[in-house]
Amino acid sequence: MVRTEMRNPSTLCQFRILLTKDLRIEFRTKEMVTSMGLYALLVLTVYGASLAQTAWGFNILQMSGGLLWVVIIFTSLLGLNRSFSQEKEFAALDGILLVPMDRSVIFLAKMTANLIFLLVIQIITVPLFIFFFLATTTPAETALLIVIPLLVGSIGIAGIGTLLSTITMHTRGKDVLLAVLFIPLIFPLLYACVSATSMMLVGTDDLGAIWRSLALAGGYDVIMILLGWVLYDFLLSA
Amino acid sequence: MGTAINISDVTRSFGLRKALDRLSFSLPQGAFLSVFGHNGAGKSTLLRILTTLDHPSSGAVEILGLNARKDADKIRERIGYISHNPMLYGDMTAEENLLFFARLYGVNNPQLRVRDLLDDVELAHRRLDTVRTFSRGMTQRLAIARALLHDPELVFLDEPYAGLDPHAVEILDGLLASIRSRRTFVMVSHNLSSGYAHASHVLLLSHGRAVCFESTQDLALESLTDLYRRDVSEGVF
Repeated sequence: MVRTEMRNPSTLCQFRILLTKDLRIEFRTKEMVTSMGLYALLVLTVYGASLAQTAWGFNILQMSGGLLWVVIIFTSLLGLNRSFSQEKEFAALDGILLVPMDRSVIFLAKMTANLIFLLVIQIITVPLFIFFFLATTTPAETALLIVIPLLVGSIGIAGIGTLLSTITMHTRGKDVLLAVLFIPLIFPLLYACVSATSMMLVGTDDLGAIWRSLALAGGYDVIMILLGWVLYDFLLSA
Repeated sequence: MGTAINISDVTRSFGLRKALDRLSFSLPQGAFLSVFGHNGAGKSTLLRILTTLDHPSSGAVEILGLNARKDADKIRERIGYISHNPMLYGDMTAEENLLFFARLYGVNNPQLRVRDLLDDVELAHRRLDTVRTFSRGMTQRLAIARALLHDPELVFLDEPYAGLDPHAVEILDGLLASIRSRRTFVMVSHNLSSGYAHASHVLLLSHGRAVCFESTQDLALESLTDLYRRDVSEGVF
């Protein structure tokens, strides 16, 4: 065997390699997107059955922000529970941990992959939600802006979720444990995103309130992602 | 010749249980260390610590003259680890798996390196098949190729023969022989005779403690077998 020449790949290069791997596997198996998509559709079906019995006076527009985020949160929980299934199956994560690299790159790549899968699901789910539940209502002119809280919220969900799914990956009852840790930790972000989404759909004179909610959500994202970046090496070692 | 591994008073505790208990030894570069012990003796824990995948609760670990905690990345550049877990992606092909790890390591001309290694482990004809479709032996051969991608100078093997058919054993033996001259090896094994046959040094573990650490020049296979029967199989601790 001839001695192999090596060069140190950049952090960005390693990030791209890790992200491409996750996208390639998902494109091939469609494991996460299919299960998350089906789950989201089932939740919408349950909504349909539940809300069909409500009185005519019921204002669904007022509740639509909250209902939409319930779908997103529970769908993302399902996906996050599976986000390390490929790494766990043949202990591939150990193989990655043996590579000399900043372990925070693993976090960022996995978070970005989770974010992409979550956004793909939202591209399918949100129009369906609007078609089935808001078609007879008159949303405000700001309704199209809900893409902003959806994006900001998804970034936070992917960041916090990736961090927590790493912690719970090897635990017994990880599905429950992830939910128990995830929901309380995501609560400030969820509250801000539901608030911004609802105001955008219903309409408000106080645009400042929308931007305050978005600023809170964005700030929370930044803190959580920085925390993940800093703590990831320690979490993997522990 | 320098020291490949130098560990002193290493203890690894999981709760109240000590997987390794004040373990110390020093292995010269170019040596082949075979580690024996009963199930739960601490063999795999030792390998995970030596490969920087885990850290000791106390004690000092030096690999290739580098501190295992402070210089972990520099150590990782120079070590390879073949575990009983293949550390591969089941839904990626053999070639994709090797290219993925080769690029992460920064191997120059990864396509060429991967092609050579797939030839070496006789998997070139299955390079486009996903790992999920491989037999245990084929998966293990691919795991060996993964561990050798970056041409490590210190190779750790955790029961590499487990589940291999005779042909796969032949390939692994051939591979080990071809790369033996320039490298240091640490192999965990349950098979005393085959482990001893490869070894220049042996380490016998029982309940996390070293029963013996000797050069094979000073310890015959018969004596090792007697020690194993007396101190490991029956248990002295």
